[in-house]
Amino acid sequence: MDASSFIGPFVPELLLLGAALLIFLLDVLGIRRNETLSTVAVAGTTLALLSVLGDLGFAPLSVFATLPANVIDAAPSTTGLYAFTSLGLIFQGIFLLSALLVSLASASRPSGEKGAPIFYGLLLLATVGMLLVAVATDLIFLLLAIEVTSIATYLLVAYHRREARSLEAAMKFFIIGALSTVLSFYGASLLFGAYGTTNLVAIGHATGAVGYPVLVLLGYGFLVAGLAFKVTLVPFHAWAVDVYDGAPSDVSAFLAGVTKKIGLFAYFLVFLGPVLYLRTVGGSSPFAGGPIDLGGTLTITLAVLAVVTMTVGNLLALLQKEMKRMLAYSSISQAGYMLIGVTIGTAPAITGATMQIFAHVLMKGGAFLVVAGVGALGVGPLIDDWKGLGTRRPLLGAAFALMLLSLAGVPLTVGFVSKFVLFSAAVQAQGYYIWLAVAGLLNSALSVFYYARVLKVMFFDTAPAPSTPPVTDALPAGGLGYGRAIAIGFIAVTIVAVGVYPQPILGAIQSAAQHFVVVGA
Amino acid sequence: MSLEELAFLVLAVVAVGTGLAALLVRELVHTILWVSVFFVDLSAIYFLLEAPFLGVLQLGVYAGAVTVLLLFGIMVTRKRIFSRDAATGLGPVPLALAAVTFIFLVASVGEFPSAPTTLQVYDPSALSALLFGTDGPWLLLLGIIMMSGVAGAIYLVREGRE
Amino acid sequence: MTGLPVADLLVLSGALLAVGIFGLLTRRNFILILIAVEVAMNATILNFVYFAAFAPTAAGLSGQAIAVVLIGFAATEVAVGLAIVLALNRIKGTINVAQATELRE
Repeated sequence: MDASSFIGPFVPELLLLGAALLIFLLDVLGIRRNETLSTVAVAGTTLALLSVLGDLGFAPLSVFATLPANVIDAAPSTTGLYAFTSLGLIFQGIFLLSALLVSLASASRPSGEKGAPIFYGLLLLATVGMLLVAVATDLIFLLLAIEVTSIATYLLVAYHRREARSLEAAMKFFIIGALSTVLSFYGASLLFGAYGTTNLVAIGHATGAVGYPVLVLLGYGFLVAGLAFKVTLVPFHAWAVDVYDGAPSDVSAFLAGVTKKIGLFAYFLVFLGPVLYLRTVGGSSPFAGGPIDLGGTLTITLAVLAVVTMTVGNLLALLQKEMKRMLAYSSISQAGYMLIGVTIGTAPAITGATMQIFAHVLMKGGAFLVVAGVGALGVGPLIDDWKGLGTRRPLLGAAFALMLLSLAGVPLTVGFVSKFVLFSAAVQAQGYYIWLAVAGLLNSALSVFYYARVLKVMFFDTAPAPSTPPVTDALPAGGLGYGRAIAIGFIAVTIVAVGVYPQPILGAIQSAAQHFVVVGA
Repeated sequence: MSLEELAFLVLAVVAVGTGLAALLVRELVHTILWVSVFFVDLSAIYFLLEAPFLGVLQLGVYAGAVTVLLLFGIMVTRKRIFSRDAATGLGPVPLALAAVTFIFLVASVGEFPSAPTTLQVYDPSALSALLFGTDGPWLLLLGIIMMSGVAGAIYLVREGRE
Repeated sequence: MTGLPVADLLVLSGALLAVGIFGLLTRRNFILILIAVEVAMNATILNFVYFAAFAPTAAGLSGQAIAVVLIGFAATEVAVGLAIVLALNRIKGTINVAQATELRE
């Protein structure tokens, strides 16, 4: 492994690592101004994003490309730890976009916080882990990359180190995270025992042909459960709401928006190979005739998890009185929709799931950024505290309304496009997959209730006479601060722009998913 | 039964016993005693499995560093060292969950021959060549994990006014 | 070297995992939860070591490499967990998980 072959493909990761180290260095030098650090983080993520977009072949950005073209979507190898697929690069782009928006919005955090360097440093390190997840092709590399993100996010949640809420959220997050880690690694060890390798392609190819069906099934079972904690699938979801609620809102935006998506990409990598392989090979697989039908068992398990997750998430969201908890439960139900893509496993379904993830990063990340901004304005945590906010702050209200409408899947928003692609893929796949589409549609209808309730509170309920004097607008841009205002504005515009004209992004994802299914199977 | 099998049987019983004891005794300091025996015991199993490098690593990192770290944690967080705060709620659900896990795992045992299998013996230098060669990225990832862990942990426990 | 039966080792690691999961779900003291995690983590590491030893080819050596990395990772995990505990202990004077009630409704 000579250095140049290693540095070349990992330019985005190295840029982020460099930015994180620079931030720690500035901390040592005593430079802790929030705006300065935010600028460093924004610069690092922007450069990394440009590099990834260049690699993806967006024409005007190709000067930033750092990967040789023949590396991307190369034929899968049964050795090696990482490989570059265009779907992985798209995920890298999504992760970087979200890290960029969170760093930008964090420029509006109160300056003078002692921990500001740690905040940005850990944010960047967590993003490095996510980028590595997207290129993993080895089970251990994948799980370790997830741990890079996990360890950084435990500490990010504990960011307010003098507040019991924040530390308790971190403690819960840590316990659940540790359990999930142990289960995933244990599953990996069983698969290693059965196959003698941890390469995912090799495992995918060998899935049908190994003489330890019970061991393999257990290995996959542990992996389903361990990774389900990361994706917040019901019944492994209970930690998420407390953690999103107790964490600083900007961190919640990061957690709910993206870090759980690495778990979903891990599901793609780990389960798509065997599921597709076993389904295509079908009868000739030793499992089909044997006591255990592994492909079928996996598919049914994932389908049940998907339906249960979206339904329970939505029902519990209906009951919530606090804004952050409502958003957290709605985030859980969204994970259910995304899992449909893994369950079906065809190229259109993966397109739909990826589109849904892209949409979710914008909608949910944006919503939590708004919550953070509104919280800084002195509005309470209850949904009822938001009374009249839409009329008092029409622009902010409109942006938030757009995000909620998109979450509900209203046409002309990105949320509609993603659900449309996803559910039509389920219908195309035929068989009992149609029921997944039906469940998704019913759930979307259900979710409209609680989004509409928030809209009603914001725009049609008049606020009671404020008992406390309104907080003086200390920051520019109406108390939001420029960074946060720009981030929220960008998200709102993108939601509509991609909703009206999805073709460029949808086309890129479609071709990437096509390659991924060919490569993966 | 060969000598190896006998040794393994003893070590396995000690491992499960000390692991359980560490979690069930009421005095937290006794926990540390049991858990250090547990770590040393596993290290002996690694030697038995012809993995001496891992045995040494287990002794150094687990029996040494982690045990001291845990002892230190107990001493700082408890005013009286001999505390009965360990709590012993034996919920039926966790017990059932643990039992089910175990039974499922034992179910897969039938797929393997119960006769002794000859062990692969590796040269530790081959292991180091692997760790710094083709499997090097794992170590790099571990480095990144440790970096964020250290940075964040220092921040959390550092004294200082906000 | 006459060797050992792989089935026995699988039973041992299964038992250790069960002990770890059980401890993780029932203990109230955070330090004990950390120890439970370590017991379960050791079951995983043991799996990798013996699957490496029983592997049909020399490629199984990467099992030992994984075990090395996992030992380092587990130590980091303990350090991070203790940091959270110490910070919480400083402001609340307890590390009993059942007394962490700020987030209950």
